[in-house]
Amino acid sequence: MSAEPSLRSLRGGRLLVSVVTASAMLTGCVSFSPDGGFAAVSSAARERVAKDVVWIRSDSERNTVEQRVAELLAKPLSVDDAVQIALLNNRGLQASYAELQLSEAALVQAARLPNPAFSMLRASSAEAGVREFKIEQALTFNIFSLITMPQATEIERRRFEQTQRAVTLDMFRLANATRKAYYTAIAAAETVRYQQQVRDAAEAAAELARRLAAVGNWNKLEQLREQSFYAEAALGLAGAEQANLSAREQLIRLLGLWGYQTRLNLPERLPDLPTAPTQQDNIEQLAMAQRLDLQAVRLHTEALAKNLGLTKTTRFINVLEFGPARVLEGARDSGYKTGYEVSFELPLFDWGGAKVATAEALYMQALNVAAETAINARSEVREAYSVYRFQYDIAKHYRDEIVPISKRISEENQLRYNGMLIGVFELLADARSQITSVNGYIDSLREFWIAQADLDMALIGKPDLNLPDMPRASATAAAEH
Amino acid sequence: MKSRRDFLFGAGAVTAAFSAASVSKVALAALPELVSQTSPDTQAPLMPQNGRPYNPVVTLNGWTLPWRMNGGVKEFHLVAEPVVREMAPGFKAHLWGYNGQSPGPTIEVVEGDRVRIFVTNRLPEHTSIHWHGQRLPNGMDGVGGLNQPTIHPGKTFVYEFVARRPGTFMYHPHADEMTQMAMGMMGFWVTHPKDRHPLIDEVDRDFVFLLNAYDIDPGSYTPKIMTMLDFNLWSWNSRIFPGIDSLNVRWKDKVRIRIGNLTMTNHPMHLHGHEFQVTGTDGGPTAKSSRWPEVTADVAVGQMRQIEFLADEEGDWAFHCHKSHHTMNAMGHDVPTLIGVDHRGVVKKITELVPDYMAMGERGMADMTEMEMPLPDNTIPMMTGEGPFGSVEMGGMFTVVKVRREQKRNDYSNPGWFAHPPGTVAYEFDGALAEPHRRQDGGGHSMPRQHQHQPGQEIEVQVRKPSGHSDH
Ligand SMILES: [Cu+2]
Repeated sequence: MSAEPSLRSLRGGRLLVSVVTASAMLTGCVSFSPDGGFAAVSSAARERVAKDVVWIRSDSERNTVEQRVAELLAKPLSVDDAVQIALLNNRGLQASYAELQLSEAALVQAARLPNPAFSMLRASSAEAGVREFKIEQALTFNIFSLITMPQATEIERRRFEQTQRAVTLDMFRLANATRKAYYTAIAAAETVRYQQQVRDAAEAAAELARRLAAVGNWNKLEQLREQSFYAEAALGLAGAEQANLSAREQLIRLLGLWGYQTRLNLPERLPDLPTAPTQQDNIEQLAMAQRLDLQAVRLHTEALAKNLGLTKTTRFINVLEFGPARVLEGARDSGYKTGYEVSFELPLFDWGGAKVATAEALYMQALNVAAETAINARSEVREAYSVYRFQYDIAKHYRDEIVPISKRISEENQLRYNGMLIGVFELLADARSQITSVNGYIDSLREFWIAQADLDMALIGKPDLNLPDMPRASATAAAEH
Repeated sequence: MKSRRDFLFGAGAVTAAFSAASVSKVALAALPELVSQTSPDTQAPLMPQNGRPYNPVVTLNGWTLPWRMNGGVKEFHLVAEPVVREMAPGFKAHLWGYNGQSPGPTIEVVEGDRVRIFVTNRLPEHTSIHWHGQRLPNGMDGVGGLNQPTIHPGKTFVYEFVARRPGTFMYHPHADEMTQMAMGMMGFWVTHPKDRHPLIDEVDRDFVFLLNAYDIDPGSYTPKIMTMLDFNLWSWNSRIFPGIDSLNVRWKDKVRIRIGNLTMTNHPMHLHGHEFQVTGTDGGPTAKSSRWPEVTADVAVGQMRQIEFLADEEGDWAFHCHKSHHTMNAMGHDVPTLIGVDHRGVVKKITELVPDYMAMGERGMADMTEMEMPLPDNTIPMMTGEGPFGSVEMGGMFTVVKVRREQKRNDYSNPGWFAHPPGTVAYEFDGALAEPHRRQDGGGHSMPRQHQHQPGQEIEVQVRKPSGHSDH
C-alpha cells in the first residue's frame, strides 16, 4: 500500500491517531470467544440428540474422552451409545471443529483495523558541491477499511454462524450415519446366524442323502441335488459373512475405533418394531423451523445481501488512503514540510459495474438456492416420512403376516411329515424357506430403523435418502456450505 | 324287525325331509316320501312289507331305500344332492350323493317288478341316472343327451321299467359323469329272483358294497375330480378302514358278497380262511360249470362280482383288496425310502431346525403306527386300526369277516374280538436257533454274465439287522 504521495498537509499525525482510535471504539472489541463457537454445536447436540460433544484440544480432554468411550464399549452397545461414541471419538468430526476456529479467526480479523503503512522516499544529488535532498515520509492508513469494517465484521459474523451450523450439521450427519451403520451391522450379524441355519439344514440334507445313496436307496442324481443345495447354502453363508464384516467395519470407522476397541459388543437382535408408527402432521413446519441447512442458507443469503450493499456503496472507490506525510526538499537543513497524504484512485477504466453485477448475481443465485433448499426440504421430509411409514408397514407385514404364515406352513408340513405324506427332504426344504422369510423380516426391520434415522435427519438437515442417483444442480451443493 | 313306519320315522338316523329348496311342495306331494339317511353305519336289512317277498341284502355302511306301492308299481324317490360323508371316524368328505349319503341307498326289487323311480336334482348342475346292467327301454337307460335330456337343477324326472332279470346292478350318473362319480354319486341295485332260480342259491347273509376311490388332500374335504390314477383314498361304500364295518356272520352261514367297482382300476378282492366262488356278474348268475374255488377274485373297472362261501371257519378273517397300496390311507408317494439309513448325528442337526422332527422309516414304515403324532386336520393315519394284538397297520379297502358260533341268525351286530381256543395262536419260539446252511456259489449259471464286476466295483450293500430299538 505505498501510493505515490501527492498531497500534503501539516496537522495530519494527530488527526490520524484520533480517527483510528474513534473507529476502533466504533467497531467494538471483537476478540476470540472462550469456546471458539463450540457452544452452539454442543447445545444442539444436547437438545436434539441428548449427546455430549467434546472439542478435544488438550491431553486431559483426550483422556476424558478415551475413558468415556471405554466405558460405553464395556457393555453391549445401544444405538445411543454408538452415536455417543461417534460424536466423541470420530476424528473427522474433530477435524471439522477446526473450521470453527478458522472462521472465528476470520471474524476477529475483519473487526481489526489494518496496520498503518509507512512509506519513505529518500533521494539526494550533489550539484556543484551542493548536496540536494528529497525525502518524503508518509504514514498512511486505509480509510476505506474504516468505512467497510462494520459491514465486513457483520459478514464475517454471519459466516461464523454459518460455520457453526455447518459443523453442527456435520455432527448430525455423523449421528445419522452411525445409526444406520449400527442397524446394518446388527442385521448383518443376524443374517449370518440365519444363513448358518440354512447351511446346517442343507448340510443335514446332504449328509442324509449321502447315507441314502450309501445304502443303495438313492441314486447319484438325487444325492447330487441335495449336495448342490448344500454347496449353494455354503456360498450364501460366505456372502453373509462378508457383508457382516463390511457392515461392522463401517460402524467401526464411524465410531473412530481401532485396536482392541474394535472388539465391540453389539446386541444380538435389532430393536423390536414400535407398536405404532409416529404420527406427524406438522412435519413440514417442523422441518422449516428446525432444519439447520435452511438456517445456514438464510444466513448465507443475508451475508450476500450485505455484501451487495457494500459493493454498491464502494463501487467507485478502489483505494482511499490517508495519512500524515512530511517532505523535505532541497537542502538538508531547509526542514521538513509536514502535511497529509491522501491517495485516491479514480475509476477511470473500471466503473465498478462488474463488481456490482457479480455481487448481484451471487445474491440472486443465493436467493434461488435458498428457495430451492426450502422447497426440497419440504419434499425431502415428506418423502422421508412416507418411506418411514412404508418401511413400518412392510416390517409389520413381515412380522404379522409373512413370518406367521410361513411358520404355519411349517407346522402343516410337520403334520404331513408325521403322516408320511411328505419326506424329510421336503421338511428340510421348508425349514430353509421359513428361515428365508424370517431373514426377510430382519431386513425389513433394518430398513425401518434406517428410515427412522433418515426421518430424524430430514427434520434437522438434508437426509441421505437411499434413492436412485439423480442429477443435481451444482448450486444445491454450493448451498450446503 | 321294525315296521316300515318305524324304519322311516322311529329311527333317529333316518329323517323324512320335505324342505327341498328348489322343488315345490305341490310337486313333492305327488312323489313318494323323500327319505334320507344321516348315519354312515350299516343299517339292518329292510324286510319287504309289501310287494313280492324276498330275502333282503345288507349294505355295508349303508342302507336300503324304502318304497311305496302305487297301483302295483314300486315307487322310489332318489334325490341327488351334496352330502357330508364320514369316511372314517374323524374324517369327513364333502361329496355328492343321494338321499343324504354317498353312495346312495341300495334299491332292492324283485324280478318282474314294475319300478318307477323319481329322481330329483338338487345339485348345482344337471344330472341323469344310468341303471347299470339293466334290461330296459332305451329311453330309460339314462345317458344324458343320448337317451334323454339331462335333469336340470330343481327338476324331477321319472324312470319306469320292469326289473326283468335277477342279479346285481348299480346306478350312477351319465351326465358330467367324471365329476359326478369322482364326487361319489353311485348306488347299489339288487334284483332278487321271483322264484327259486337254479343258479341263484338261497343264502343266510347277503352283503353288498361298491368299490370307490377319492383323491382328497390331507386337511381338505372335497375330492379332486381331475385325478385319474393317483387316488389316495381307496374305499368301500365311501368308507375307509378303520371306518368299514366288519361282516358279522354266524358259523356255517352261507354268505354272499356282491361287489361293484366304480374306481378307475381293478381290485383283487381277497378273503382269508375260506374259499369262495364267483357265482354272478352284472351279466347275471354264472353257470355252475364255470365256477371254481378262489381266495382272490379280481373285480375289474365297471364290473360287478358276486362271491359266495360257507362260513365254516370261526375267527376274525381279514377281507381286503390285495393291492397293498389300496389297504393304506392317504400317503406320500414321493417319500424317500429310509430303510437302513443311519440317522445318527443328522437327527440332532435337523431337530435344531425342525424341533418336532422325529426320524421315521429307518426301520420300515411300521414306525408310523407306533408313534402317535398329530396329523393335518381331517386326516386319518396311513395305516392304523387297533386289533386285539396291536395295530392292524391297514387302511383303505380292508375289513374283517367275523365268523361266530354264538352269532344269532339275522343278527348283524359286532361280536367283538375272537376268543381263540387255547393253543391256536402263533407264539414266540424261545429255543436256540441253529445257523442255517447257506449256498456259497451265488446262484445259477445258466446265463453267466459276460463282464463280471471288478472286485473294486462291487456294490456294497450294508444290511442292518434288527437290534431292537436303536437310538433315536
Ligand atoms: Cu384295490
